[in-house]
Amino acid sequence: MSTKIITPVDEFADFLPQEYKELVARGPYRERRSVEDLGTFKEIIEEHPHCAGCGVSLGIRLLAAALPSPEDTLIVGTPGCSFFGLVQAALNYSNTAFGNQNAVATGLKRMLQIRFPHVHKDVVVVAGDGGIADIGLDLTLHSWFRREKITTIMLDNEVYANTGGQESGMSRQGQVLNMAPQGKRFSKIPVFEMAKVSGCVYGARVTVASPRKVGRAVRNAILVAREFGPTYVQIFTPCPTNMKFPPNQTLKVAKEAEKDHYTYEEFMSAEVAAYLARL
Amino acid sequence: MYVAAKVEVEKCTGCKLCILSCPEPNVLRYLPETKQVAVNQQRCKGCGLCVTVCSKDALTVSSI
Ligand SMILES: Cc1ncc(C[n+]2csc(CCOP(=O)(O)OP(=O)(O)O)c2C)c(N)n1
Ligand SMILES: [Mg+2]
Repeated sequence: MSTKIITPVDEFADFLPQEYKELVARGPYRERRSVEDLGTFKEIIEEHPHCAGCGVSLGIRLLAAALPSPEDTLIVGTPGCSFFGLVQAALNYSNTAFGNQNAVATGLKRMLQIRFPHVHKDVVVVAGDGGIADIGLDLTLHSWFRREKITTIMLDNEVYANTGGQESGMSRQGQVLNMAPQGKRFSKIPVFEMAKVSGCVYGARVTVASPRKVGRAVRNAILVAREFGPTYVQIFTPCPTNMKFPPNQTLKVAKEAEKDHYTYEEFMSAEVAAYLARL
Repeated sequence: MYVAAKVEVEKCTGCKLCILSCPEPNVLRYLPETKQVAVNQQRCKGCGLCVTVCSKDALTVSSI
């Protein structure tokens, strides 16, 4: 990328906030950075208002570090907790009316391909379980059926966290929530399984307790989407506030889920496997 | 914030596990000079996730 667009002209350099200067000097733009390098470069996500111990914000932080080229990435989101962190990020972000993220991403991807035919512009949907599995399910599935070259990342906290705790299609059966006092009556919508049969050429199911796997999954998904078609990553991002566990237990909850309903799983087509092996 | 994480320099081995467990960006930094981790306490929310992953008991959360 050209770092021209982030480098300030000399006359203005003094007026810029410290965070911005650090981003220009030590941001993840010139050299390839990954989740393993966190702590050694200035991250593109800034201070955000997520609750202490929030799994969603950890998921955002990890996926932002894993972007193969953050400067050429457009994140498309939708209402939900995830946009608190994403709007504090030094990357292109577009919000959409609730549930419309994969339709908007489709249009943006096609437009960017026409405008920049020789550059990979990664269009990545990042949204909550409610946004993807409930209100946006039809548009998500249709973007997969159409084989759009976009990546969809679900930050699954198994609840509508942002609006105070309603049940989502991804909540677990029996889960009691602030606004689901009798517990959820049916099991999680199998979005990951649906991705396999709806056109996704790569998919991974991970949790924030395995940060390196999250990083690898996100990077693979984005690189594969450039060449082959839709990809899907589902990240378990537990919510201490709504699930009412102490904020220092988020990783323990995620780790336990890895042995239960959130086992690590990855799928890909044969040609994608051959491509990833060559990278 | 009112509470924040603190690193005990005698115990930190610089394994960076805590850095990958922190939901807050740019709060835990790895210092190559000392090969240890440092906390930006102004931005730490004190959730304590770093404490739970540190195998050397080098991190604590307390009021500041
Ligand atoms: C059309 C529409 N309906 C309802 C809402 C209210 N709303 C905002 S966020 C949200 C739930 C988000 O849940 P999820 O996608 O799981 O994200 P989370 O907050 O859990 O991260 C709802 C129902 C809205 N903004 N727009
Ligand atoms: Mg949710």
